[in-house]
Amino acid sequence: MKKPTKRARAVPPNKAASRSAKVKIHKLATGVRGLDDILGGGVPEFSLNLIGGAPGGGKTTLVHQLAFANATPEKPALYFTVLGEPVIKMLRYQQQFSFFDESKVGEAIRFINLSDMVIERNLDAVLEEITKQVTAANAGVVVVDSFRTLARKATSDAGDIAAQSFIHRLSQFLTSSEATTFLVGEYVQDEIRDNPLFTMVDGILWLSQVTERNSVVRKLQVMKLRGQASVPGLHTIRITDDGLQAFSRTLGLDSKKGKPSQRRRLSVGIPELDKMLGGGVLEGDSVLVAGPSGTGKSALATQFIAEGLRQGEPGIMAIFEERPEGYTQRADSFGLKLNKAEQKGTLEILYLRPLDLSVDETMQAILDAIQRVGAKRLVIDSLVGFEMALAPGFRADFRESLYRMIGALTGAGITIFSTVEVEDNFTSLQFSHYAISFLTDDIIRLRYVEIDGQLRKTMVVIKMRGGNHSKDIREYVITDEGVVIIHPRRTDYEKLSTGIPHQTGPRVAQESEVPPEPKASQ
Amino acid sequence: MSRASPRMRRFAKHLIVADALAVSVTITDNAAPFPVTDALRPRLATLMGNGGVRALLSRALALATREVPWLRAVHVNADGNLEGLAEMSPLIDPIEFLEGRVVLLAQLLGLLVAFIGPSLTSRLVGEFWPQIPFQDRDFGKEHEDEEAN
Repeated sequence: MKKPTKRARAVPPNKAASRSAKVKIHKLATGVRGLDDILGGGVPEFSLNLIGGAPGGGKTTLVHQLAFANATPEKPALYFTVLGEPVIKMLRYQQQFSFFDESKVGEAIRFINLSDMVIERNLDAVLEEITKQVTAANAGVVVVDSFRTLARKATSDAGDIAAQSFIHRLSQFLTSSEATTFLVGEYVQDEIRDNPLFTMVDGILWLSQVTERNSVVRKLQVMKLRGQASVPGLHTIRITDDGLQAFSRTLGLDSKKGKPSQRRRLSVGIPELDKMLGGGVLEGDSVLVAGPSGTGKSALATQFIAEGLRQGEPGIMAIFEERPEGYTQRADSFGLKLNKAEQKGTLEILYLRPLDLSVDETMQAILDAIQRVGAKRLVIDSLVGFEMALAPGFRADFRESLYRMIGALTGAGITIFSTVEVEDNFTSLQFSHYAISFLTDDIIRLRYVEIDGQLRKTMVVIKMRGGNHSKDIREYVITDEGVVIIHPRRTDYEKLSTGIPHQTGPRVAQESEVPPEPKASQ
Repeated sequence: MSRASPRMRRFAKHLIVADALAVSVTITDNAAPFPVTDALRPRLATLMGNGGVRALLSRALALATREVPWLRAVHVNADGNLEGLAEMSPLIDPIEFLEGRVVLLAQLLGLLVAFIGPSLTSRLVGEFWPQIPFQDRDFGKEHEDEEAN
C-alpha cells in the first residue's frame, strides 16, 4: 500500500475541515501592559466577564483602561453606574491616569447612571434601559459598576431565581448585541462557591491586595476564562500614573530559546582572567562573582561592561546598592568612561532601590532597558541588594524568580555578571548564601588571604559549564586600571582557599612598608 | 475663594443671554425660566443621577446665595428644578435677577470644573452649545489665570 504523504498524515481531511469550521474568537486588547499575555492574547470578544475583589484592588481603574482601549465612536463603551462610586468622582480620579483620553468621553465612552432606576423602579425597567441604551449606541463594550449592588437588589426584590433569571437575560442580550461586558463588583472569595453569577460568566478576573509587614503587594488572578489558555496563578500588578500594569509570573519564560551551539568567547576586560576562563566567558552565560566586601566585585563587573562597550556590545547595569554616580566615578578612575556610553545610549545604569519591588517588575524594567539599548551584557550588582529591594512577600520566592529571570535573559543571548557578597569564614570556601550556584554557568570566587603579614586578594574560577578553565588560585590587586591579576599561581603556599595558608616553600625576603596594591585614584 | 470668577461670570452671562435670545425672550423678561440649567440637568442626571444633580445644584445655590441674598428664596426640589425662581422674578429688579442667575450658573460651572476639570466641563458645555467657540469655554485658561493670581 502506498504510504500517505507527510502532509496527509499531519492533517486528516475530515479534521482539517472541522478545524477550518471553528469559530474564531477575536480578542480585545486590555490596554493594560502585561495583561494580554496573562489572558492568552486578550479578552474574548462578546464575553461576559466579572472583575471582582475587595475595595482598593484596582477594579475600577482596570475597567476604565479596558473601556478606553476599545471604545470608538462607532462602537462606544457604555459605562453603567449603579450606586457605586459617583461618576463625577470617577471622572475626577480616572483622568489623572495617562490612558484617560478626554476626547473619548461623551461620544466613545458614555457614562449612564442607573442608580435612580434601581432605587425607584424594578429590574425589568433596568434591563429595559440597558437594552435601549446598548441598542441605540451599538455598544462594543458594556460595563456595569457595581454589579453586586444590582444583583443584590434583584435578590432582595424577587429572590434568587428571579435574580439569576435577570442575570441570564442580561447576559443573553449583551452577547447577542455583540458587546463585551464587564461586571464590576466587590466580592469576597467565599462567595464564589454559592453565587451562580460566577458560574454564568465567561471570565473572572480577581484583584487583591496582600499585606506583609509594611509592604502591600497587589495581585491579579485569572480565575476563569472560557475558550482560551490563560496563565494560572497570582500575578503582580502595580498601579502607576499609567494605570494598571501586570507582571506575569511566567514573564520571560516564553522567550526562552536554546543557546546557540556556536557561542563566542567574550573578554571580561582582564586579559589574565580571560585566560583563566579558557579564553573568556561564553556568550549567553550567567557568571556569578562571589566575594566579601571590598574584594572588587563591582570593579570587575564594571570592567566586564566597559569591555563590552569597547567591543560594540551595549550593556545594562542593574544596581541595587551603590548609586550610579559612584559607579561612573569608579569607572572614570579606571579610565573607563561610562558617561560617554550613557550619553550615546549604549549603556543604561538602572538604579533599583524601592523596597517593595517584585522580581517580575524588576525583570520587566531590565527587559525594557535591554530592548531600549539592544544590550548584550548585563550586570546585576548585587543579588543581596536585589533581594533587599523586594517586598518581604516576594523574598520567599527569590530563588525561583531569579531562576526564571536568569533563564529568560541568558536564553535571549544576554551574558550576565551577577555579584554576591559572601563572608569569608577561614574554614571553607562558600559561594553564596542563596545556594544559587545551580543558576549560574560560571562562578568566580574572590577572597582575602593572609600572606606574609598582609591581607591580600585572590581569585579562582570555581566552575565553568561550557568548558575547561584554569584551576589556579591567582593573586590580584585593584589599581588605577581596575582589577589586575598579578603573580602566577603560588606554589610556596598551601590551603590558600581557607584564607590562612601554610607556607611550604622557601621564605622569600619581603620588603616592608611597600603597599602591594596602591588604591585607585579618585 | 468664589468659583464664580469674573471670567466664569462673563461666560455664564453669555450663555444666559444667548439662550434667552434663542427662545425669543429678552434677558430682562421676568417670566423667563432658567433654560441653561434646564438644558444641562438631564445630561448631568445621566451622568450622576437625579440625586447627584440635586446635590450639585444645591451646593451651587448655597454658594451663590452668599453673594446674592435674594436667592435664599430659591430651593432645589426633588426633580432638580429651581423652585421659587419664577416667583421671585417679578419682585426683583431685572438686572439683579439676571445677576443672580449669572452667579448661580457660574457657581455650578465652577463646581464642575473643580470636580471633573476644565477640559471635561468644556466638553460637556460644548455638547449643548457647540456654537460657542472653544476659546470662549476654555476653563483651563480660567485655572491658569487663577494660579497666576
